[in-house]
Amino acid sequence: MLAVHSLTKRFGELTAVDGVSFHIRAGETYGLLGPNGAGKTTIISMVAGLIPANDGTVHVAGRPMTPAGTEAKRTIGLVPQELAIYPDLTARENLLFFGRLQGITGKELTRRADEVLELIGLADRAGDLTKKYSGGMKRRLNIGIGLLHRPGLLILDEPTVGVDPQSRNAILESVERLSVEGMAVLYTTHYMEEAERLCDRIAIIDEGRIQAEGTRDELITLTGGVDRINLRGGGSMARAAEALRALPAVRRVDSDGTGLLLTVSDGPTALAGIVTGAGHAGMSVTSVEVVRPDLESVFLHLTGKALRD
Amino acid sequence: MSPLLAIAAVELRRFLRDRSNIFFVFIFPLMLILLLGSQFGAGSGQGKVAIAGPESGLASALAAELRSAGVAVTASGADAARADLSRGRTDVALFLDEADGQAYEAGRTAELGVVMASQSSAQAVLQQVRTAVQAVSLGRGQLAALAGAGVPEANARQALDRAAAQTAVPTVEIVDTNEVTRAFRGLGRFDLGAAQQVLLFVFLSSLTGAVTLIQGRRFGVVGRVMSAPVSSGQVVAGQALGRFAIAAVQGGFIMAGTALLFGVEWGNLWLSALVLVLFCAVSAAAAMIIGSVIDHDSAAAGVGVGGGLVLGGLGGCMVPPEFFPDTLAAISYATPHRWAYDALAAIQRRGGTLGDILPQLGVLAAMAAALLLLGAWLLRRSLNRAL
Repeated sequence: MLAVHSLTKRFGELTAVDGVSFHIRAGETYGLLGPNGAGKTTIISMVAGLIPANDGTVHVAGRPMTPAGTEAKRTIGLVPQELAIYPDLTARENLLFFGRLQGITGKELTRRADEVLELIGLADRAGDLTKKYSGGMKRRLNIGIGLLHRPGLLILDEPTVGVDPQSRNAILESVERLSVEGMAVLYTTHYMEEAERLCDRIAIIDEGRIQAEGTRDELITLTGGVDRINLRGGGSMARAAEALRALPAVRRVDSDGTGLLLTVSDGPTALAGIVTGAGHAGMSVTSVEVVRPDLESVFLHLTGKALRD
Repeated sequence: MSPLLAIAAVELRRFLRDRSNIFFVFIFPLMLILLLGSQFGAGSGQGKVAIAGPESGLASALAAELRSAGVAVTASGADAARADLSRGRTDVALFLDEADGQAYEAGRTAELGVVMASQSSAQAVLQQVRTAVQAVSLGRGQLAALAGAGVPEANARQALDRAAAQTAVPTVEIVDTNEVTRAFRGLGRFDLGAAQQVLLFVFLSSLTGAVTLIQGRRFGVVGRVMSAPVSSGQVVAGQALGRFAIAAVQGGFIMAGTALLFGVEWGNLWLSALVLVLFCAVSAAAAMIIGSVIDHDSAAAGVGVGGGLVLGGLGGCMVPPEFFPDTLAAISYATPHRWAYDALAAIQRRGGTLGDILPQLGVLAAMAAALLLLGAWLLRRSLNRAL
């Protein structure tokens, strides 16, 4: 549905997007995971034909996407990061306006607007001015407008920013449903949990480049498949560290003065032996924490910085 | 509905939805036209005389004589007449009593009470009252003389009427040599104010309405619109059409409203509408420029109000340009208001034809074209900036 090849965007001396390539199949949800300023929105802008690329190509359903590419634009639904709605129009009026821009008219437009209002749970507030809506309701309408013309590719740019947990969950459920129905979804976020929950494949992006791409499990293997175990307590930590290094599952032991930080393979299995070994070596363990690798760990591993830096 | 029309329609809908706009765009201009017409419009210089006292042949004769001289006459009680005098509602009050009426009927001398108000116009009205009293007195004297000669009163009246009808009364044609006065000849009480205010408010509202363009960028709507299968040309054209529709709706409303409510004569309606259409195009283009180069609502509103008032004032929408000194009059031609004002003046006051107003239409069309091109270019740049 979407094929992006060597996409590059420069703003003066700054290269905001540097040779990005990826593709999305129908029914697949593809995530762009990266911190603010990583280049996600710039990629989205080029994929949606809002700004031209300096290099590279974007094809949507086989049609080239450019700012003048009206045919390719018929296939996409954009849900911008900003609340791109008119606050002085009602939800229905917003839907009808953007529907007309998509070339939908008459009864078909009215029917689709009704469908979307039901889908996003705003049917009973359809006649209210959107400036009276809560933040979550506005977000839902923002997404609904992107769905009105039933696009083959839905582009969601950080759709849950500033949304309460309940509305956020509703939005994520909607995206999951759309994917099941066969829509291709391009989803950008800097929330690791959202990417893990929604995306079939994820591209980790930083400084305008895709650092790694794959399924969640494929990305996690990039960290070497190791867990971290934090032991807190007192007693003879030096002797305990020495003893734990001898265990086969333990790859590394560091001490921060208040406890031991262990890097181990298959932490849950090795945990019992580690706690017992530390006790035999004279350490009184007061707390244990097992940290399994996640996308945050992957990002840290790949870029040397935290996702929310 | 095409995307172009959809964009224009939504701009108009958003403009009309703002309740403050309803007042300032539709109600306030009409109120101002009413106020200006009442205070300064043609006819406001008409003399006013109050005749206080019981009904009598003398009162009727004086009222008829004064009315024939173009004076507005009201009949009232003595207290009401004094109140009107003190508040400047009448220029002169005539106080008659029953004895005056009887003296008049009997052909005797009557002494009338006359009080003049303090306003400057009262002196001239007092002179008109004197003339009317002399005319009535003369008529009564002639009747009394004939009656004294033994002619029955009814016959005497008929004879005097016939004599008046047969006598060629010398007429005096007053030719006003004052150009300013001549320029306003033929205008109704509200005509001038309506022409000025329609231009002032159409331009002013268009400029302040440019705020919706800025909001479109600020709300992020521009990005969503540009991601739809519409060209940037369609978006720009739709915005331009929306601005034009806002101006045209207001202008049409003021023209129709003043014609219906105040009896304003717009002359040849097609020509006046043509002037308005071109002026709306200029206003729409100016709004596009303001909405494209300014990124903050409040700044745009300030520039819109300030610019609209200054240009309106310079263009003759506050003080008629006929009163301008030469330099200011020359400067006023830099504004579209002045050209539209001149065109409307030709149509309203002199029954101007299309040929008469072609120069004004040409200049307005050129201004509209130039500003639309500049506005479209700037708007396209501002759309890209928003992305």
